[in-house]
Amino acid sequence: MAEKPFGLVATFDSTGALMRAAVQVRDAGYRKWDCITPFPVHGIDQAMGLGRSRVPRFSLAGGVTGFFTGMCMIFYMNGFDYRLSVGGKPFFSPLFAFPISYELTILFTAFATIGGMFYLNGLPMHYHPVLNYPNIRKATDNRFLIVIERADPRFDEAATRALLERVGGADIEEVEA
Amino acid sequence: MSKFPATQALTVGLAATAVTAAGILVSGAHVVATAWLVGIGFWTAAAIGMLMMILIHHIFDASWSTALRRQFEHGTAAFPWLLLLFLPLIIGSYAGKGDLVWPWMNPAHEVHGAITVRTDLLYEKKSAFLNVPLFTILSIGFFALWIWVSARLRHASFAQDADGDAKWTRRNGFTSGFGIPIVALTLTGAAIYWFKSLEYHWFSTMYGVWYFANCMRAALALGVIIMLWLYGRGDYRGILKTDHLWAIGQLMLTFTVFWAYISFSQYFLIWNANVPEETFWYNIREYGDWWYVSLFLVFGNFLLPFLLLLSYRFKVTHAAIRWIAYLILFVIFVDICYNILPALQDAKGNPQPFLSLNLLWSATSVAGVGGICVWAYMRSLPKTKIIPIRDPRIGECLSHHE
Repeated sequence: MAEKPFGLVATFDSTGALMRAAVQVRDAGYRKWDCITPFPVHGIDQAMGLGRSRVPRFSLAGGVTGFFTGMCMIFYMNGFDYRLSVGGKPFFSPLFAFPISYELTILFTAFATIGGMFYLNGLPMHYHPVLNYPNIRKATDNRFLIVIERADPRFDEAATRALLERVGGADIEEVEA
Repeated sequence: MSKFPATQALTVGLAATAVTAAGILVSGAHVVATAWLVGIGFWTAAAIGMLMMILIHHIFDASWSTALRRQFEHGTAAFPWLLLLFLPLIIGSYAGKGDLVWPWMNPAHEVHGAITVRTDLLYEKKSAFLNVPLFTILSIGFFALWIWVSARLRHASFAQDADGDAKWTRRNGFTSGFGIPIVALTLTGAAIYWFKSLEYHWFSTMYGVWYFANCMRAALALGVIIMLWLYGRGDYRGILKTDHLWAIGQLMLTFTVFWAYISFSQYFLIWNANVPEETFWYNIREYGDWWYVSLFLVFGNFLLPFLLLLSYRFKVTHAAIRWIAYLILFVIFVDICYNILPALQDAKGNPQPFLSLNLLWSATSVAGVGGICVWAYMRSLPKTKIIPIRDPRIGECLSHHE
């Protein structure tokens, strides 16, 4: 194999052990690492030192875009390109453009949210190196994994392995990329 | 628990009520009684919103709001006092010519300076609903139903503190099943009778929903203020979590959007149809400084709270969400003024300005009715545990996590 291995993976037996280990990996200063659990573990985001999701920024940008798309579209069509006098109303008013702008706000927000989530999560992803780890099936049942990537600036073959051993990880293995 | 805040609230309430009553000597009974309706409308909205929050909590078998629900149960203790404070308006309508607040109660009341209510075709068509006996029966009936439903919920919840029996939870779920339609219909009836009939020519099918939106917004804002107050006092230490504030903040955002949706729809349909029987209501609200109040409703009632509540950080930072809650209470006050006060007209039939003594009496009415409502809440607060300690959902509430 010409490629370098992806990183080190360790197995833990309980959520408690995982949480304690995660806190120590976080405090050791690692950035490119992850916890793999069979179910959502409350509080794991704090233990890992993760911040809030950045998806809402995409949502907001999508919403603003949608609103102005609606307003501009109706302004162009009714106020400029094809003027119609209906019921003595002005050619353009934000009032009648509002329902359409509002619908487009919601539509674009939804698209931006889904798109932003896919982008931030690196989806679609059909292959992940951690699938090579023998215990990966147990991590969908009753085991918990911590993966530290080789790409992390603090990664050091011996020191990282020693850290995972110290925090109580079992079956520590290097997985191929 | 100190008795001081309760006594203080009652003092403020009675003093502000006395100031409002003294306003009769300055502005006359019609103006002050209409301003009093603003105070009643504001705090009844808050109490109905709290009642609705309890009902919705039970119908969804919710968990995160279990601790907060207890505070709303205390808040609904205000209903009997609100009825008492509303009675002067009914009694005043029987004394004198009848149009103390609502013009249609006096058959000789002039409409547009040409005809009277008695000879007004639009009144005649609506007279089966708009008559004083039915108004009296239904208004008192609305309060009676709110008192009854909230007393059932309170009794079952408080009794569960003692025996921990799950049957109380099931009973409150049952109460909520019939309670929600009762409260929805009665709050719609109240909004139509008390506020919409001030300009009885007008009609809008959105009106009850508009009042409901304000009910929910007021209850949620007060819920935030109460939670943070209890946290500051120490009662809610270890109970109030970031995610509770996040959850209630999301509901505040929801009902801010809901209010805007309702208010815009009402305006948009009337603007689009352009029928004089409907547009006049908005025309008089564009007269003089009411135009700026209208704009304030768009930007202050919707846009500003909407943008602030989009932020996660503002929703969970105590100081920020407290100020947003105060802002929302203020804009609800302005919205209720906007719906009621233009009914007060000058000699030419135009609405009296927003910035006038009418606003002062409205503010003292809100302080007066509010002081008595807060007092009712404070009186109820020490009667039970601070949270429903034996509710089956209390564990889920205390460990609530997004």
